[in-house]
Amino acid sequence: MAEVRALLDILFKGCVLLIAFLALVPVLHLTLAAIVNGGPVIASAGLKFFTEVPPPPGNRTYGILTSLIGTIELALLSTLVGVPISFMAAVLVVEFPHSRLGRIVRLLSRTLLELPTILIGMFVFTIIVVPLGSPSILAASIALALVMLPYVTTYIEAALSSVPRTYREAGLALGMTKARVAFTIVVPIAVRGVVTGILVGLAKAMGETAPLLFTLGRARTSLNVDPLGPGDAIPLLIYDYAQAPYENLREVAWGATLVLITLFLLVYVLARLTIRGVRV
Amino acid sequence: MPPRSVPREDRLFYFSLVPFAYIIIAALLLLALSITWKALPALEAYGIDLFLRNVWAPREDSPGDYGLLAAIYGTLVSAFIAVVLALPLSVSLAIAVEELAPKPLRGAIAFLNDVAAGFPTIAFGLWGVEYLVPFLRDYVMRPLYSSIGFLPTFSCEPLSGASLLAAGTLLAFMVTPFMTALIREAYASVPFHLREAAASVSSAWYQEVLLVLGMIKPAIVAALLLGYGRAAGETVAVSLVVGNSFNVSLCLFAPSYTVSALIANQFGNATYYPLMPEVLFAGGVFLFVIGLVINWMGVRMIERVRWVG
Repeated sequence: MAEVRALLDILFKGCVLLIAFLALVPVLHLTLAAIVNGGPVIASAGLKFFTEVPPPPGNRTYGILTSLIGTIELALLSTLVGVPISFMAAVLVVEFPHSRLGRIVRLLSRTLLELPTILIGMFVFTIIVVPLGSPSILAASIALALVMLPYVTTYIEAALSSVPRTYREAGLALGMTKARVAFTIVVPIAVRGVVTGILVGLAKAMGETAPLLFTLGRARTSLNVDPLGPGDAIPLLIYDYAQAPYENLREVAWGATLVLITLFLLVYVLARLTIRGVRV
Repeated sequence: MPPRSVPREDRLFYFSLVPFAYIIIAALLLLALSITWKALPALEAYGIDLFLRNVWAPREDSPGDYGLLAAIYGTLVSAFIAVVLALPLSVSLAIAVEELAPKPLRGAIAFLNDVAAGFPTIAFGLWGVEYLVPFLRDYVMRPLYSSIGFLPTFSCEPLSGASLLAAGTLLAFMVTPFMTALIREAYASVPFHLREAAASVSSAWYQEVLLVLGMIKPAIVAALLLGYGRAAGETVAVSLVVGNSFNVSLCLFAPSYTVSALIANQFGNATYYPLMPEVLFAGGVFLFVIGLVINWMGVRMIERVRWVG
């Protein structure tokens, strides 16, 4: 009996390890594929990959200038729109946990978290793109801000509520108002957690494609940085070129994927480095 | 609103935060309302048939004939395949991280898992087109078709490989990290005395693990539900590998459609066809309702994991 159990134990352990390994293979293989396929493309184009607009089909030149600038601009603008709202809403939820509004916001931001992002694209198309008459970088930034909102709110909320009660009580005992306690005691203590939340939201927004489909336009061959004009983004470029029947566009797609993954990992590692310091 | 006993400064503080909270509430309400509002004409024109018929015949001069059944069927089936495949993957990965990985490696694997959970979905899409679809076609679909093709699910000859099975498999890989994180968190939260209890009645490690898994069953169900919701709403990666064709067939190798892929492909040019935008908004309502219901059930399930004593 004992031998059977020992054998079953080894068998079970082996299966678990094998399947667990299988679960991690796709993301590793996909990163490797981006390096193997995208690396040579970027290497052969050199700096031009970042300074020239995408090639016409069939041509053997490369460049993702418009999408790269677009992605960076979208990241900045959506952070600018989304983070203040998330931050203040999170302060409300944490500092007034028993208010009805606080509870509603908490529930709704969790609901938004699971909403298909294509719906956000349709929504922003309806209420901003149609009234303005055309897709724009601004509309796309608002869509991405809506994608970020629940992530950033939830993360900041968790960071702020991890600050022990005693710190708040100490401040209140000194006669400070709740606002001063929140902004001069709680937020500085939780600042790393707050920054992590913002970075995670940023990483999420940067990689999104669906909210951009109907809101951004595809100003791919000429650079536009005016927020009211159309723009382009790396995920959108990859989506279009992945379906293109031209070899060279697919190569651009792989190069763009490598750039996107690099940007994503950069932001994520930055978030990881800040989170390591949270010690209250 | 804070109680009357709260000092005046604190009430002011509260009211200065209120507008930001209202923005979030307004955004969600407006989203629900505008999508439903836009969908109404289609619901009026086609009634419930819009969700029960499989037809897609757009016309430019008059409202065409539309029925979303193929896309709805594809959404439900591909998400189902995804969670069925993702369940063993995520449970195994959670056990491996919590029980088997050496301590120094645990943090690294957990980090890798977090990274994978937030990975740009379009990267999965491109990888799916270039690697997963051909692999599945050559090493899974064709062998199954030629060996046990008499089963209805394997009964059609795989062509390009873009199909419900490809979409479901890609989605499985995409939701696995997310589900793993949920299961792992619950697994780690089991209190020590319950672990000891499990150990005391087990004569082998695997029995102990199975007992602990039993304790966190609600969390596993929640992971299944939330994973299903994510898979059903995923757009760009799926639209690249699902084949984009209006098929309702039991065969998993046939190209199909999902609601979000349909919206992604058709919404941009839909205004040229009377009622087509409204039909796609009705698809949006379907996605919204599915997301809301599943999310609500999932969150309720997670709340069931509570430890007493």
